[in-house]
Amino acid sequence: MTETTSANGFALDDSGQRVVVDPVCRIEGHLRIEVNVDENNTIRNAVSTGNMWRGLEVILKGRDPRDAWAFTERICGVCTGVHALASCRAVEDAIGIEIPRNANSIRNLMMLAQYTQDHLVHFYHLHALDWVDVVSALNADPAATSALQQSISPWPKSSPGYFRDIQNQIKRFVESGQLGPFANAYWGSPAYKLPAEANLMAVTHYLEALNFQKEIVKIHTIFGGRNPHPNWLVGGMPCSINIDDTGAVGAVNMTWLNKVSDIINSSIAFVDQVYIPDLKAIASFYKDWLHGGGLSGKNVMAYGEFPAIANNYTNESWMLPNGAILDGDLSTVHDVDPRDTEQIREFVTHSWYDYPDPDAGLHPWEGITEPKFELGPNAKGTKTNIEALDEGGKYSWLKAPRWRGHAMEVGPLARYLVAYARGQEDIKEQVDSLLRDLDVPVTALFSTLGRTAARGLECSWAAHKMRTVYDDMMANIKAGDSATANMQLWEPETWPADTRGVGFGEAPRGALGHWIHIQEGKIANYQAVVPTTWNASPRDPQGNIGAYEAALLGTPMADPEQPLEILRTIHSFDPCLACASHIIAPDGQELAQVKIR
Amino acid sequence: MPSRETFYEVMRQHGITRRSFLKFCSLTAAGLGLGPEFAGKFAHALETKPRTPVIWLHGLECTCCTESFIRSGNPLAGDVVLSMISLDYDDTLMAAAGHQAEELLEQTVEKYDGQYILACEGNPPLNEDGMYCIQAGKPYVEKLRHMADHCKAIIAWGSCASWGCVQAARPNPTRATPIHKVITDKPVVKVPGCPPIAEVMTGVITYMIAFDRLPELDRQGRPKMFYSQRLHDKCYRRPHFDAGQFVERFDDEGARKGYCLYKVGCKGPTTYNACSTVEWNDGLSWPVKSGHGCLGCAEDNFWDKGSFYSAVTNFGAMGGAEASADKVGGILAGAAAVGVAAHAAASAVSRIRSRNSEEVRHD
Amino acid sequence: MASTASDSLEKRHHRKPLYVFEAPVRIWHWVHALSIVVLAVTGYLIANPLPSIGGEASEHFLMGNLRMIHFIAGYVFAIGFAVRIYFGLVGNKYSRELLYLPVWRREWWRDLFGEVRYYLFLQRDPPHSDAHNALAQAAMWFVNILVGVFMIVSGFALYGEGLGLGTWADTWFGWAIPLFGGSQQLRMLHILGMWLFIVFSIIHIYMAVRADIMGSQSSVSSIISGWRTYKD
Repeated sequence: MTETTSANGFALDDSGQRVVVDPVCRIEGHLRIEVNVDENNTIRNAVSTGNMWRGLEVILKGRDPRDAWAFTERICGVCTGVHALASCRAVEDAIGIEIPRNANSIRNLMMLAQYTQDHLVHFYHLHALDWVDVVSALNADPAATSALQQSISPWPKSSPGYFRDIQNQIKRFVESGQLGPFANAYWGSPAYKLPAEANLMAVTHYLEALNFQKEIVKIHTIFGGRNPHPNWLVGGMPCSINIDDTGAVGAVNMTWLNKVSDIINSSIAFVDQVYIPDLKAIASFYKDWLHGGGLSGKNVMAYGEFPAIANNYTNESWMLPNGAILDGDLSTVHDVDPRDTEQIREFVTHSWYDYPDPDAGLHPWEGITEPKFELGPNAKGTKTNIEALDEGGKYSWLKAPRWRGHAMEVGPLARYLVAYARGQEDIKEQVDSLLRDLDVPVTALFSTLGRTAARGLECSWAAHKMRTVYDDMMANIKAGDSATANMQLWEPETWPADTRGVGFGEAPRGALGHWIHIQEGKIANYQAVVPTTWNASPRDPQGNIGAYEAALLGTPMADPEQPLEILRTIHSFDPCLACASHIIAPDGQELAQVKIR
Repeated sequence: MPSRETFYEVMRQHGITRRSFLKFCSLTAAGLGLGPEFAGKFAHALETKPRTPVIWLHGLECTCCTESFIRSGNPLAGDVVLSMISLDYDDTLMAAAGHQAEELLEQTVEKYDGQYILACEGNPPLNEDGMYCIQAGKPYVEKLRHMADHCKAIIAWGSCASWGCVQAARPNPTRATPIHKVITDKPVVKVPGCPPIAEVMTGVITYMIAFDRLPELDRQGRPKMFYSQRLHDKCYRRPHFDAGQFVERFDDEGARKGYCLYKVGCKGPTTYNACSTVEWNDGLSWPVKSGHGCLGCAEDNFWDKGSFYSAVTNFGAMGGAEASADKVGGILAGAAAVGVAAHAAASAVSRIRSRNSEEVRHD
Repeated sequence: MASTASDSLEKRHHRKPLYVFEAPVRIWHWVHALSIVVLAVTGYLIANPLPSIGGEASEHFLMGNLRMIHFIAGYVFAIGFAVRIYFGLVGNKYSRELLYLPVWRREWWRDLFGEVRYYLFLQRDPPHSDAHNALAQAAMWFVNILVGVFMIVSGFALYGEGLGLGTWADTWFGWAIPLFGGSQQLRMLHILGMWLFIVFSIIHIYMAVRADIMGSQSSVSSIISGWRTYKD
């Protein structure tokens, strides 16, 4: 086999030179990408491999469902809290707990803060160096950089002297000979298109953003005690509100609320005056680099997030709507129901797991998993020294989730496309305004850059949304409601003996669902299907390829030795492998016996 | 290769005056809990030393340690990375990828054999020949062993590297193993916590660089300066504990008044960390201050010690069975009482019987 | 079996009162008992505090006092234990019976099983003993010596957590914390130790009273007066 077409319509050709990128750095966790390039160095085949497995759901079995949020929160420390929230929702759904309005607002604030911080860090610290040449910044004219900055943003840190100082810092850092995290990279590659001044501006903001991101998460610190890994609570939130009475220092009081308000203001300012102008400036130089669309123009999906109405997880309540788009048909948006066992199913034909029926797909409530590490017949190397994988066999620690049999892309772009197609005004306005500013058609969204742009817009949306949610919460407190937790069904004796629940929503990286089965007050079964599993999934038995693999196809590389273009596109998804690859569905079976070294 | 600059030179080149450099030194010394006399030593150390290379590896983990590290406010993470250490490898932050990234490891081994600090986040799984964590096609544990062979000292960041943490919780399907059980011939500084406090992380690494020695460690290999006291010892809610004022359930009156969280499962009394003193995110707050009890995340195997919402918890050693000390003890005492009562009754019956039989005999 | 019963039957008719429990042992017994009651009550309340009390924290010191009483009682328990061990070495032969189990002696095992049979109503009379019968001796050794040592070590290790790193309690006993799997784990084992003492006490008191009523020797009065007397 050399030339084939995947079931979802992508041409694949594995005859050319094989390029392996492992590790893919500047992501969470361990990911491997292999591609075949043709004689013009264009990618014709792509293979995405999750490189780690931790088995958290096995560990959760038999434990107290009220503790589950803490375990699942440790799935990921980058998108910290999102799994905790999904877990609380799953338990509350199973038991029938309704959370107070304030708890809903606080959860929304924490999640919005997470979006804002995570997107910001992703853009500057995990993604920007794919577009920004640090070394080129040394040649910039600080005065011209200052002029550029002032022409696009009112951000006050913009004097020529300021940029000169930063430039000198970088210069001396480079001259020290100890390049640290910037060593051995791809500086000077023809794939970098920014003028020196834009590079200097972006590098400056790389440093500023590094210092600022830690401010945003202080919202977590106030309500959840710390960040990363703030505390949550089944039934609401653990932070009491006490704005009137004795001992106000022991709870969320007026000074805390003021601090939250200040953080919201400074977050809006930073995102709107630094992130968004940088994004537009950088994008304007890469307008012709519209590769990496992959599945985004075909199949995208979102579960919905940010319930405006407490305990209502439907489109009536979601601030970012639920929906799925198939074959790029924006005129029809399908409803996604995580409870429907026909809709979401996971396959393991190409994953390092085993099913009794190897090609069957299983809904998370019915899942089976046994790890089964074996390489395909055409893999090169040995078991513990893999040179090249065989995508015809098993090749990833990720399962392949599918929606009604389709591979789906999830994430900010998917959410924005669903909201856009659902005609949601605030999102439409943002998107249309960006397209106008950059003078590109709507189809430009279906690209690596589209993904990056949607994330930026969403970051701004989230920062502003914090203000709305905060004001709502203050109005509710003013009306006399200060409850933050509903403890009526706290004791396991009050629970049904056998019950199932699902907690779903949108992590910054995309659709996230936790499925739980509780028996006699203990976890009988736990399963999470997370965004990066959707995006980085291996192939399924029908031959559909996942979003990462699809997005890499057709991308020309300037130099296959320097995988800059691969990094660009993969980074645009904001991979999170610790999330993606812990998947296992216990059903009472023991794990396969594994060899002890 | 250009000559390496000292920390002080780099700071001066960054436009930092000697005065503010010294101020930084005294603040850092104070931040480490050291007396003012240390500020001078600190300054001297930083003035004369080139930046120490640090290799930061990631095994099975969730990257919360890296995320925590970049939250450091004092010193700023950016200053640590750009001015204090030379972060020569960190797959979460580095610009290079693939073989360009892996080459850097070999370069470090060659150039700085025995001189670099190995910072480990996460731990290696040993089952399935280590292939539950693959890096560059090979088991992570190989990379860890190789880099440990040539390093000067190891920092085990967080509870994964220090104890095993969540993936090592029962039944530990991947056999995730803490660093000190894999690398036995190098000094390991454990900085536990899930994650550790940002300033504790930067405090430990700057201490090692400034003084060129390991911080003083306790019995279990943790720096005494941050891990020698329980949260409970310095908790601002301690007066409520001593008075007997407790939160009985979340969001009750006690919760709103900031009472002690012991009864809703706070593990502050058994957890060694600096949360109640250093606090989190620029000293803004910490879990107990926000209303939730401490999970005990800096303690060995805290996942298997039972509910996070009960003061009296399960025995980790007792496998899957739910068995708290009071439950087991109560059952034993109950059984003893029932047994005693039954035995007393049986004794009485037997006595009557024997008396009767004696009477019969007398007859 | 029959011979054992007739032996003891033979002996008990010719017994004169015997001075078994010397004064230090008797004093220790009651001090020990009192300290256990205080430790158990305060310890239980430290692990499972009473319902919350209102008002200002400065007006109350309930938990603080409970802990202080617990610590004082702990010192009493530990010092008493040390004194008792010392007296076991210098006191009469009966006082030594608590220190070790003569597991190498066949008669001891025979007496032990004889006691078991007696308490299971399989044997009419118990094997003869002067101070402690074999079963009592085994139970006392297990709880008072083995669990007692554990309670002293774990108790002072936990006490040392509050005193601080480098204090005497930490230096001498702090090693127990990592050995038993951490502070929380050690606390739980310490609580379990308390329950073992409670179980022992229930059975111990029952058997002592029962022996007075049904047995051939004095029991409760002996640990007060020191004299073992024999019924007719």
